[in-house]
Amino acid sequence: MTEQGETGEAITILLVEDDAPTCWRLQDALAKAGYEVRSAGTLSEARQALAAGAPRVLLTDLRLPDGHGVELIREMRQRFPDTEIMVISALGDEESVISAITVGATGYLLKDAFPTDIATTVRDLVAGHSPISASIARFIVRRTQGAAQSSAEPPPGPALNTARLTPREIDILWGIAKGFSYAEIASHLGLSKQTVPGHIKNIYRKLEVHTRSEAVFEAVQQGLIKL
Amino acid sequence: MSEIAAKAALKPARRRLLASRLVPYLLLQALIVIVTILGLRLLQPSDPEDYAVTDFSAREDGLTRPVTLPHFTSSRHSLADPPFYAGTFTFRSGDAASGWSVYLPRFSNAVEVAVNGVVVLDSRRDANANRPDRNTPQIAVIPASLLREGANEITVRLFVWGPLKGFLDTVYVGPDAALRPAYETRTLLFVTLPVVFSAWQAILGVILAIMWLMRRREPVYGVLAAAMVLGVVQAFAPPPVPPATVSRLAAVLLASAPIESALVVAFGVLFFGWRWPRYGTLLFVPGIVVFVVGLIGGPPLPRILFLVLGIPTVGLCLFLMACVTAIAVVRRQDAASFTIGCAVTIVLVCWVHDMLTVLELVNNDRIFVSRLSYSAMLVAIGAGLTWRFARALNQVDSFAGQLVTRVREAEERLKASFAREEERARAAALANERTRLMRDLHDGLGGQLVSIVALSERGHEGTAITDAARAALKDLRLVIDSMDDIGGDLMLALGSWRERATAQLRPHDIALDWRVATPQGLPLHPELRPWHVIQIVRILDEAVTNAVKHAQARRIAVTIDTFDAGQGAYGVISVTDDGSGFAPAGNGEAAGAGQTARGLRNMKGRAARCGAVLDLTSDNSGTRVRLKLPRRFPDSDLAAG
Repeated sequence: MTEQGETGEAITILLVEDDAPTCWRLQDALAKAGYEVRSAGTLSEARQALAAGAPRVLLTDLRLPDGHGVELIREMRQRFPDTEIMVISALGDEESVISAITVGATGYLLKDAFPTDIATTVRDLVAGHSPISASIARFIVRRTQGAAQSSAEPPPGPALNTARLTPREIDILWGIAKGFSYAEIASHLGLSKQTVPGHIKNIYRKLEVHTRSEAVFEAVQQGLIKL
Repeated sequence: MSEIAAKAALKPARRRLLASRLVPYLLLQALIVIVTILGLRLLQPSDPEDYAVTDFSAREDGLTRPVTLPHFTSSRHSLADPPFYAGTFTFRSGDAASGWSVYLPRFSNAVEVAVNGVVVLDSRRDANANRPDRNTPQIAVIPASLLREGANEITVRLFVWGPLKGFLDTVYVGPDAALRPAYETRTLLFVTLPVVFSAWQAILGVILAIMWLMRRREPVYGVLAAAMVLGVVQAFAPPPVPPATVSRLAAVLLASAPIESALVVAFGVLFFGWRWPRYGTLLFVPGIVVFVVGLIGGPPLPRILFLVLGIPTVGLCLFLMACVTAIAVVRRQDAASFTIGCAVTIVLVCWVHDMLTVLELVNNDRIFVSRLSYSAMLVAIGAGLTWRFARALNQVDSFAGQLVTRVREAEERLKASFAREEERARAAALANERTRLMRDLHDGLGGQLVSIVALSERGHEGTAITDAARAALKDLRLVIDSMDDIGGDLMLALGSWRERATAQLRPHDIALDWRVATPQGLPLHPELRPWHVIQIVRILDEAVTNAVKHAQARRIAVTIDTFDAGQGAYGVISVTDDGSGFAPAGNGEAAGAGQTARGLRNMKGRAARCGAVLDLTSDNSGTRVRLKLPRRFPDSDLAAG
């Protein structure tokens, strides 16, 4: 069985992971699911691989021997905006996931996930469904509360601008943080179940700071900077 | 007309208020006027009329004519050739058990009494007896040797100094025992009582002066103290009775009444909290004129001025004071204004009474009561001040009480905010520590565990290693997750747990049913700490693991419910599976029973440590673990103690 995109060609994945056993494991799981997987152990290898063409999906670890995955994600977002980006995380903690989200990742993958789950997550991502965990949702909504309280000292963890989130999106994040399923959230909020993943992708997009100039524009818009 | 009507309609409420308050007050004052007049009538001292000597021949200005006492002479300013009264009385020695006396209840201004040509009484020696404003009586014992059986001659020389007319009331001659009680009564009323009142005034003056010295911001006390001091000086200053040689200052001090009354008006205005109007100073002008003219001109000028200028001023001041108190009564409706108002009315009535007496419109033996009634006003003012002082003390007390309460409240708020701040600092420190720990674990241990999972999976022989490594990873995530500040909402921890459990169950093809009975989930527990969360999540993990490993369940249902029996809400988490169950009694297979017993003990222990109660029921159709959470999580580990 081969996973195919809309064009009928096999979906290409660039896997960037420096730990060899983990890399093999993920590659196995994805290849078995029918994806076309290229792997890279370092940032420079990944850049070489990109020279051959843009993959449909980028899976990258954050800590790499010759740099940080965040740099790669930012580059990808600028050069190949259509590529779906996921961060691979050992623990799925918000520290790594949120910093990846703010530069353009739209999901995360646990390194020890079961092979079927790995394939499913990637398939969902390509279909436009960004995965989000309860702890990530919790981190984001708590940050929205922190912004409302406007405490003097910045909260620990990566910087995150939640000002663009709508109340509805925050409600959805609360539901996810409390362990409700998409169907339950949809029924509580009077939504259609199918629209919830779209909302989540929107949330990711809103949390992304695209470029430096955009970040400045954003800051001005929100009154954080006075020109 | 229409304008007036419009104005009247503009403030009908105020008018109604004025009417409803002023009318009862005026009625009360009218009642007081009547009572005062009646009182003055009733209090008229009675004299022993049996011994009255009324028929005299009076020689005045060289003219001799028969008169009947009481008698007025013309006003005069010279002591030379005073009016001379001669009369007779009959002495019977049978009545002489206690000796005979001559008693003069009222005269002005001074008398010299002689019996059978021998002087027995000369009031000029007693300065106070000659003051026209006092009603001093005189009595003198007639030496027995002077008395003759039968008719005796009595002569009275009446010294008069203007501007008032001279006056001689009925003269009484008789046994001392019969005359003395009347004399004593008059002395008490017209001599002793004024002295008592003056002493009172002096004390009040001192107290008020001290109050004013300590509280310069309140001139009301100073004004009243000045009035009191003037009154005392006036009462005790030696009267300028000719021929006594007195200083002019003492003479004019007698004319202090207008200044005194003006001061009292000033006191009233200030006492009721109004500003003393600038033109109010004009009220002092008559008194000062009397004073200055008296100093320059000398007697008898001050007395004449006093009569024509001072006494009307006193009346005007009393009237003004009555108006001031009436306004105060309407506005304030308090005890002080009522008391002072009533006292002013009494004084005013007495002043009118005295005026009528001076003008001889009313014949009442020329008894002046203004001075006496002035003391009634003093009593009222003293009461008013005491009332005000007590009220001020009460206010201070209640203010102090309020202050104490406020300080206590502020303290509580400060404590609470301090505790909050501490809590926030603690949470921030924990979050920072967690971030650091997470980064370390993620970069080190976490990655290594993932490697172990990957390697052991590749070898196809290390299922046990894979499981152990996965379990280690899961536990690591749990520890990190539970360190997050979830703000007392256990649902947030359960949300993460649901994800992990779902991921754990998926390879085994076991469905996880998740049901939250109430929309808001579990009640909030601000006292919830990371170690509580770890215990609860591990219990749930154990229950799920048991269902997977030992019971071969196909479905696991987690139900989260909240109950509230009135004593505070508590949550219940149930984990139910449809597996084969196990026999808690221990009559199943020996190894399994031992293992499940240990697992069960473990779960119960964890539940007990965070104040929860664990129930486990199991039969062939499945197992049900029911974890009843406490209403309040314990601060310390219950099993450790």
